[in-house]
Amino acid sequence: MDLDDTVKLEIYGRLALSGTAPTATDVAHALALAPDEVTAAFARLHQRRLLVPEPGDPSRIRMAPPFSGVETPFRVQAGGTTYFANCVWDALGIPAALHRDAAVDARDGHTGEPMRLEVKHGAAVPTPCVIHFAVPAARWWTDIVYT
Amino acid sequence: MLLFRSEENVSAWCRERSLPRQPLVTLDQLWHLALTWYENRLTVESRRPAASEMVSIFASIGLTGPFWDPNADAWASTG
Repeated sequence: MDLDDTVKLEIYGRLALSGTAPTATDVAHALALAPDEVTAAFARLHQRRLLVPEPGDPSRIRMAPPFSGVETPFRVQAGGTTYFANCVWDALGIPAALHRDAAVDARDGHTGEPMRLEVKHGAAVPTPCVIHFAVPAARWWTDIVYT
Repeated sequence: MLLFRSEENVSAWCRERSLPRQPLVTLDQLWHLALTWYENRLTVESRRPAASEMVSIFASIGLTGPFWDPNADAWASTG
């Protein structure tokens, strides 16, 4: 396994366990690496679209999809841990990645009405809702934070 | 992408922003995408699907056309 995959597994393992994204310093300490090596791995993982560093601070993680490194309007509860997702797709992506049941608390994009989605026994529980993609696939990574 | 209770709420959201309403996705379709993208995300083998794979994945659940094509020139040229 190469360095980037090792860093990737450390990031995702920590996120799955705690819901909190590690910094490059955290990952470096865990893997006995130099922080600069880890920050460089963050950049390469970004090129592979597996991670988005925090704008202005390449040693911090804004997104490791489906997980968010910051609080968002998409809160996911699974296995007693709280996670934040980048969007409604990623909110379902967290139980998919964890292979766990989950409850997603979000809000209607127009009215702000609280909405809950649930995943039980490996499937999304039918809920009256629709999902709107405002940005076409060709532009998703033009501004992934907006998307 | 955003979650809405109804199609009417999507239309109102788009109207307020003078944005075109794009194709809607159902919860079942989104769950399929979540599984396809992320069910092995915690493993060493995980990777984002390639553009050609994405087109096939979207088509398999009825999402077709340039909006769902990561290489669609009509969108990319202005993106």
